[in-house]
Amino acid sequence: MNALPLAFGAPAILLGLVALPIIWWLLRLTPPRPKTELFPPLRILARVLKKEETPSKSPWWLTLLRLLIAALVVFALSKPVLNPDETQLSGDGPLILLVDNDWSTAPDWNARMAVADRLITHAEEANRPVSLVLTAERQHNAIPNSASTARERLQAAEPRPIKSDRQAALSALLTAYETTAPGSLAFLSSGLAEPDTQGAWQALLDKGASDVLLFQRDDGNTLALTTADNDAEGFALKALRLNKSAAERYPVSALDNKGRPISSGELVFDSESGEGTAILSAPFELRNDFATISLDGHATAATRYLLDDSFRRRRVALLSAEPLDLSQPLLSPLYYLTRALEPFADLILPQQPELSDALSELLEQRPSVLVMADIGTLPSDAADMLDDWIDGGGLLLRFAGPRLAGGNNDDPFVPVELRRGERALGGALSWSEPQPLAEFPSSSPFFGMPRPDDVTVSRQVLAEPSADLAVHTWASLADGTPLVTSNQFGSGRLVLFHVTAEATWSTLPISGHFVEMLRRSILLSKVAGSDTDENGEATLPPYRLLDANGALKAPSGAAQPLEIIAGTRPVTSFDNPPGLYGTESGFLALNVMTPDDALEPFQWPEFDGTATRAGFTPPGSVDLLPYLLSAALILLIVDSLIVLIMAGALSRHALRRAGPATAATMMLFAGTLLLVTAGPAVSSDEKPGDAEILQSLDRTHLAYVVTGDRRTDEASQRGMNGLTRFLTYRTSLEPGEPVGVDLETDPLALYPMLYWPISTDAEPPSAAAISRVDAFMKNGGTVLFDTRDALAGLGAAGVVSPQTARLRSILADLDIPALEPVPGDHVLTKAFYILNEFPGRYRGSPLWVEAALENEESRNRPARAGDGVSSIIITGNDLAGAWAIDENNIPVYPTVPPDPVQREHAFRSGVNIMMYMLTGNYKADQVHVPALLERLGQ
Amino acid sequence: MAAIGQAAEAVTTPSALARARQRAAYVPDLLVEASRVANTVIAGWHGRRKRGIGENFWQFRPYVEGEGLARIDWRRSARDDHTYIRDREWEAAHTVWLWADSSPSMLFKSTLAPVSKQSRAMVILLALAEILARSGERIACPGVMDPVSARNAAERLAAAISLQTMADTFPELSQIGRQSDLVLISDFLDPAEEVIEKLAPIAKRGIRGHVLEICDPVEESFPYSGRTEFIDPESGEKLTAGRAQTIHADYRRTYLARRESIAENLRRLGWNFITHHTDQPASQALVALHTHLSGVPAGGMRGSAQ
Repeated sequence: MNALPLAFGAPAILLGLVALPIIWWLLRLTPPRPKTELFPPLRILARVLKKEETPSKSPWWLTLLRLLIAALVVFALSKPVLNPDETQLSGDGPLILLVDNDWSTAPDWNARMAVADRLITHAEEANRPVSLVLTAERQHNAIPNSASTARERLQAAEPRPIKSDRQAALSALLTAYETTAPGSLAFLSSGLAEPDTQGAWQALLDKGASDVLLFQRDDGNTLALTTADNDAEGFALKALRLNKSAAERYPVSALDNKGRPISSGELVFDSESGEGTAILSAPFELRNDFATISLDGHATAATRYLLDDSFRRRRVALLSAEPLDLSQPLLSPLYYLTRALEPFADLILPQQPELSDALSELLEQRPSVLVMADIGTLPSDAADMLDDWIDGGGLLLRFAGPRLAGGNNDDPFVPVELRRGERALGGALSWSEPQPLAEFPSSSPFFGMPRPDDVTVSRQVLAEPSADLAVHTWASLADGTPLVTSNQFGSGRLVLFHVTAEATWSTLPISGHFVEMLRRSILLSKVAGSDTDENGEATLPPYRLLDANGALKAPSGAAQPLEIIAGTRPVTSFDNPPGLYGTESGFLALNVMTPDDALEPFQWPEFDGTATRAGFTPPGSVDLLPYLLSAALILLIVDSLIVLIMAGALSRHALRRAGPATAATMMLFAGTLLLVTAGPAVSSDEKPGDAEILQSLDRTHLAYVVTGDRRTDEASQRGMNGLTRFLTYRTSLEPGEPVGVDLETDPLALYPMLYWPISTDAEPPSAAAISRVDAFMKNGGTVLFDTRDALAGLGAAGVVSPQTARLRSILADLDIPALEPVPGDHVLTKAFYILNEFPGRYRGSPLWVEAALENEESRNRPARAGDGVSSIIITGNDLAGAWAIDENNIPVYPTVPPDPVQREHAFRSGVNIMMYMLTGNYKADQVHVPALLERLGQ
Repeated sequence: MAAIGQAAEAVTTPSALARARQRAAYVPDLLVEASRVANTVIAGWHGRRKRGIGENFWQFRPYVEGEGLARIDWRRSARDDHTYIRDREWEAAHTVWLWADSSPSMLFKSTLAPVSKQSRAMVILLALAEILARSGERIACPGVMDPVSARNAAERLAAAISLQTMADTFPELSQIGRQSDLVLISDFLDPAEEVIEKLAPIAKRGIRGHVLEICDPVEESFPYSGRTEFIDPESGEKLTAGRAQTIHADYRRTYLARRESIAENLRRLGWNFITHHTDQPASQALVALHTHLSGVPAGGMRGSAQ
């Protein structure tokens, strides 16, 4: 048409280009307006200025730049389009607009809508009625109607995640045009052929439409995933494509149920082949988490393959006659089973000890597989339950053992008839050797696994020979006796391992083949969870549905429950769009494509006349408006910068003069930017009481428990004061003010040690307080209990003072390890001072600490390894009483006997306890320093 | 961008007088160096070291017949047999001629300066008048006021100026006596040759001159940039500079060369030359002038208000 493939939406605006010379004249004429300045020494300036020529006009290139901007704006406003679309309708009479809206139309739906809208506009201009028919709808209204109605319907149309039903659409059209002749026929095709529609097409084309238009996408390819199988090596995918010519590769990923990609592979199409395959190789455990498989970059319903529970982890129930005893795990069959099954199955263990209770408990949880290790006879109610369950599709996996071997012969839950007793191979009284395994027979699910050479069987239960024994045998020994047998049981299955699940009868449970054999056996099981009735029929409500773009959404109102009829594969329809049907716990995946679908390109039948073929987007149709406007804007910015530079606005003088104002503006600008980029303010994580905690964190504080007894608390406080003072004088530890701690409310974690005087006058601590103390001790804190009753018993054995009784009642609720009096080589005796005893106001009561585990080595060491500071220290010597000082630093309470040396020793005890608290085993290691130094040669 | 310089309203003399009084209050009484005080009969404070009309005691001398009896100092005469007459020292006032330029260019005021040059010139003029009057000197303004010796001479000068506008052009100075001082306040933006041409004949007559150049900081620093059109406030002439910042250095050189040239020539004539910027306080200029009038620096030294 044109020499240049350029069309203008508003060509009249191009007249604005006439104004360019005028703009040029104006620009050339008007120099930038100078600043006017009064300047008295003009005559002096005149002498200087004589030599400079003042440009009274803008430079030519600036003028050119501005003209360019003006021209760009004019061009942009005239709405130029490169390579415009030239679709035209000819003829008259009603326009048939047949639009495919199946799953494959989703990616370019907007382009399709644009084409359809353009066609409707053409029809509207020619005042022609329009029949708009969408192929993937429930009902088809083909009666010609006004163009505006058609447009309204078109705007309401959307792609559906299902296959199109052109047959219905065409028959609706044929009915509507029984008498009238269509003017034009426009078909917006998905490009896919639909079988058995050629006749209908022929009939429609024979109606004699004057022009026939076919719109079909001519770029890209239509892909669909048809099947996915959980194979031994990985997930095997099959896919179809429409354009079969070239060899192509597409990335595929498997997503988990949150949409995160967890595995990826490559879908490979050979050239001239419509079918492609991909293997998603992932560990078996990971494959259980696959929820969907999707073709990356293709957002259609058919490029998302939904997986349901049939690909999932099986729930396996374990039942054994013996409980799982963790003290001797290697003798428990459950131990081997648990270890082997854990990677790929969810295990259920019964809580009930009694066998039939345990069984009913397990079966209530709907396991796929029930593993019974050496259970001989079942109670009759349990046997009935088990019978029902297996009959309903369960898989019973049994292991032999002494109980099974000794059981009665009419056990219903064995796949083959068994002989009583077991057969022993090898041993002192036998000529035979332990038997290895034979190759797996080809009918066995184990077929394909290498023959396990390292497995020997020394004991087994034997099957009665019968004609069909070989059919039921999955694995046998080298001498031909079956090792694993299996049989159908109703719609379920029985599998029997003729050996035990622990390593007493054979080495099978400790070989890697055991795991693989169990895995393959379990894969045979069905997934429980779907509620099918006796006939295998079920009605599943929609749970999650795919939309046309391949996204899983909550179901909309239009979707109907899916009816499952035994023996037939459910198919997608308008009522049952693809998606997951069922409930969250168990669902069935319904995918768009079935394995026997094919993708074939659409072909017209032979007819008189010609069909015009077009794509949805004219090749390279580009709207130039945004580009031109952007270019004009950029040039305008450039022009502004040039003008600013020429006017000297960016010179040093100008910047300095405009200093404060500019700075303020820039600050404001930067501030705004910051505000914009900072995003929502991070909420403060401050909590009430943080200030006090922070204050007490700056230094170590001695803490005592506030018992509520005023005299005791006062003594404690004074005692802590005294010890604080002593520590400050004698050691490098300078504690802060002593803190009284309320066990119910105050945070305990801030203090290394709590001094807890036991007072019978105080209220006993609450259970909550005790549990807080317990947590404090478990997390590394130490509680120094002081019963202050060293004189109460006066040495008499068996006398329990009230304080000791109170202490016992407190400790009863605490998890306290074994205690011992401080041994002579304990770190406490050497932590700062060397002490032999720990007196307070009284002397005589031993200091109790956690008993250290004896070990051989410790005898040779000068100090016991104090790994782990004792979390509890108990004394009866009233330490705080000895430490207590008043405001004048005079001791408050006399020692008993009144001996100043004893008080000094009490203080030293306190120092040692604090040092022990704060340094732990460091002091124990300190004793090695001389040896280490000697070794270093110093 | 707002213009840097503008033409200010001419300052009214009463307001200038008020500010001048303030300034004058800071400056000590001015006794013009009396080396060559004019030999006038009008009483002033410059002692002539001979008897005449004055207030201070000079000498006692014997009464001569014919002199008025009222002049006999009886207290002295009573001490011996002769009759004495008390002579007083002849004290004479000095005449200082003050002149400030009031041409339109003086009305220029830039954003860097608080006041216009004319305002500053008027303030300095009146402050000087006030100080001199306080010292009993005779003050005059060429073409405006004849020499006056009065305590309120500054007011009278202010009134005279407000009534009779000072001539725009250079004043007629032929009537100034030989032994007078002359204070000229102007921006001296004319070319140096023209200024010297006017001043040299006066200097030749033996008049001591003190020249105060008032300049606006903008005139010296030339902070213009970009495309700027300059207008001469006197002639209305226009001049456009394409990029004003490029001529900054040239202009400054020329401007300072003019000042240097004037200063050099005046120094050769024995006159003082002081430069004052309007962004500095008026007191600086006043003190500088005061110093020169008092003759503290050796004659001919070029003063500076810096």
